[in-house]
Amino acid sequence: MRRLRNILDRIEPGFQEGGRWNRFAPLYEMVDTLFYVPGTATSVAPHVRDAVDMKRSMITVIIALLPALFFGMYNTGYQASPEAGFLQNMQTGVLAVLPLILVSYIVGGLWEVLFAVVRRHDINEGFLVTGLLLPMTLPPGIPLWMVAMGISFGIVIGKEVTGGTGYNIFNPALVARAFIFFAYPGQMSGDPVWSLADELTAATPLAAASSVQGADAVGLVSGAGYSMSDMFLGLVPGSVGGTSTLAILAGAALLLVTRIANWRIMAGGVVGMVATALLANMIAPASQNSMLSLTPLYHLVMGGFAFGIVFMATDPVSASQTNAGRWIYGVLIGFFCVLIRVLNQAFVEGIMLSVLLGNAFAPMIDYFVLQQNIAKRKRAYAKQ
Amino acid sequence: MDVIRLKKGHDLALQGQPEKQLFSAGRSTLLKIRPADFRGVKLKLMVKEGDHVRTGAPVLYSKTHPDLFFTSPGSGRISRIVSGERRVINEIVIDLDKTDSFEAFERFNEQSIASLSSERIKGQLLRSGLWPAIRQRPFSTVANPDIVPKAVFVSAMPTAPFAPDTDYLLEQDDRGFQSGLSVLKNLTGRPVHLVIGRNASHPLLTSVKDVVLHAFTGPHPAGNVGIHIHHIAPIRNRDDSVWYLSLQDVSRIGKLFLTGKYPVEKIITVGGSSVEKRLYMKVRQGMMLGDILRDNRYDENSRLISGDVLTGEIRMPEEPLGFYHEILSVIPENSDRPFIGWLRPGLRNYSVSNLFLSRLLNNRGAGLDTRMHGSPRVIIPFGNIESVLPMDILPTFLIKMIIARDIDEMEKLGIYECDPEDFALCSFVDASKMEISEIIREGLEYVEKNG
Repeated sequence: MRRLRNILDRIEPGFQEGGRWNRFAPLYEMVDTLFYVPGTATSVAPHVRDAVDMKRSMITVIIALLPALFFGMYNTGYQASPEAGFLQNMQTGVLAVLPLILVSYIVGGLWEVLFAVVRRHDINEGFLVTGLLLPMTLPPGIPLWMVAMGISFGIVIGKEVTGGTGYNIFNPALVARAFIFFAYPGQMSGDPVWSLADELTAATPLAAASSVQGADAVGLVSGAGYSMSDMFLGLVPGSVGGTSTLAILAGAALLLVTRIANWRIMAGGVVGMVATALLANMIAPASQNSMLSLTPLYHLVMGGFAFGIVFMATDPVSASQTNAGRWIYGVLIGFFCVLIRVLNQAFVEGIMLSVLLGNAFAPMIDYFVLQQNIAKRKRAYAKQ
Repeated sequence: MDVIRLKKGHDLALQGQPEKQLFSAGRSTLLKIRPADFRGVKLKLMVKEGDHVRTGAPVLYSKTHPDLFFTSPGSGRISRIVSGERRVINEIVIDLDKTDSFEAFERFNEQSIASLSSERIKGQLLRSGLWPAIRQRPFSTVANPDIVPKAVFVSAMPTAPFAPDTDYLLEQDDRGFQSGLSVLKNLTGRPVHLVIGRNASHPLLTSVKDVVLHAFTGPHPAGNVGIHIHHIAPIRNRDDSVWYLSLQDVSRIGKLFLTGKYPVEKIITVGGSSVEKRLYMKVRQGMMLGDILRDNRYDENSRLISGDVLTGEIRMPEEPLGFYHEILSVIPENSDRPFIGWLRPGLRNYSVSNLFLSRLLNNRGAGLDTRMHGSPRVIIPFGNIESVLPMDILPTFLIKMIIARDIDEMEKLGIYECDPEDFALCSFVDASKMEISEIIREGLEYVEKNG
């Protein structure tokens, strides 16, 4: 380990002010602090600091994503050939999913470094999360160049152009997914895309539930061969990381215990979803729309709702940034998600659009919370 | 008396807690006055090198209030006046005589203090050099003698790491405390708010007169005066002034009026994992840190801090303890670079967050030193800074408005209620390693100058 430190120390002067490689200082900072915690000491009060930093925070999100990722790899193989056995399925899955992740990290990383060098700021660890989130929301067989296009759009337009890390309005991973979804719909929706095997076509549970007008959605889902437990475990067709509610819940538990994700957003999302779904259930008998009859539990385990509310909606930058605002923001996303699933069956997977809508409303929600805070302060001042 | 219960905050489990044993620092051969301790006043010299001064004799005065004196904490010869750039006075060194001779001030008994007029009190305080013990919010400056504040705050439940225990201080020396409070009441004619802990037991605290008594509980910064002001009499605008002072300075004011002499001593704590004897010490105002630690031992590679570790200032051994400081913290300097720190389980990483295993043991065994533990990044609002600020202030938005230098918005978001010391824990817990206290300080300085 000493040797690595020595190499880093030897090349450091080149990256400092006046050095040959000064322009690439962000790269050096990235590599240097990746291997060694920065050696800076405090120069002003407070003289002691908490051990928390951005690397630790972001790596915790990555760890929270791992159960869903590993399960997604297995499920990718399982959907292609259910009888192949665990190891074979895992191998198929790894071979299919790993390239997606690599492309996402490499192409996205290049953009990240380019912007860091040009705009002279350090490379932010948040990218590690974005780069992993995107492939987990895609169908396993998607062409790699589309992943490259998507992550490029997400990083450049979704993040850097709209303010850069910490200021972006929309969740960059979702912007990337939305770009692919609308630009290349043939590879992102419809029954054939969800399985690696060409001859297999499988409707996702959500697509099955909305397939026949006037029918009972729950019946349609079980008719398509999806049991409640299959959907909860995630052994159904869908995006790479989004099918297993169980694995996502494990990640959610870690995010909540470490308080990296705000519980109010998740709770709000579930409340909004349950309330809207119950409302839909009440209207269901009067309508031909099969999706209206889907109970909240089905909404929870089907499609990407769990993944979206746990990992996408909770991005602290694009979400509301006040506690009251986080509740409203969460409820709104849950509400939109069911609304889109039920009313607009062209986009039967509603969570992506509902989180993006939530992102769009977040600054406005915060604005009202801020006005409340200011008004409350005025009242307290007047009372004295 | 209602108890105001605060939940947000964090009591730092810092190693090297001072024990309740009182020692005297003895006599030193020289004292120093640091004009930089006094915020918001422009100071002019009244002495030159070689002059002899008595204890309580004026050394400096305020340019804007020529009757506001800053006086000598000892008797002796002015041996050196160190000035810096643009003739700013950095330090005044006084070589002490063997014995003290005191400047004579008016003496009163307890009954006559109760009926003293505001004018007489003000005159004596300004002349004696104890006026600067009274500070003013917003902006934490030396109190402006021309105004009448809306209230006076005395916080007697410090929660800062190593802060001297109020009950213990009063057990050691309770002279002057009640008289000091009466003086403050007569000086301003406005309510004097005394804030005590819920478990305060000293009879003087529970049967005190001439004050409005409040009790607070909660983790640090629940004991900070800024938090008390926020919950009792929030500052509405830049002209809405509140005065505040420490419990020991109240006692010193009382002693000044009871004895007619400038009181030079106070009790401080010495604590931290890098110092051998952690205890309470009686020291003289202006004593150098080296003299305070003369009979003590501390590691070579340690940082001396005048004040607590969250808000204090780095000082050399030959520099004096700050005028307002009642803590001397000695903590290890460290700039180690652990390999792949972000992946370690973190049993030895002190953290308020739940990101390290040390949290399961309540940070026991996790020491704190001067390391930053990370690189500076942009704001990512995880919510940790909000979790240690027991005020109805939205820190993330306030910080953004300060960075944007938007005075209107800063005012709306309550900048006048803020002080860097109340945001120290926000800097401590921030994952982006932003200097939040410093940003608040910049914001306050900006509105002070341009508002």
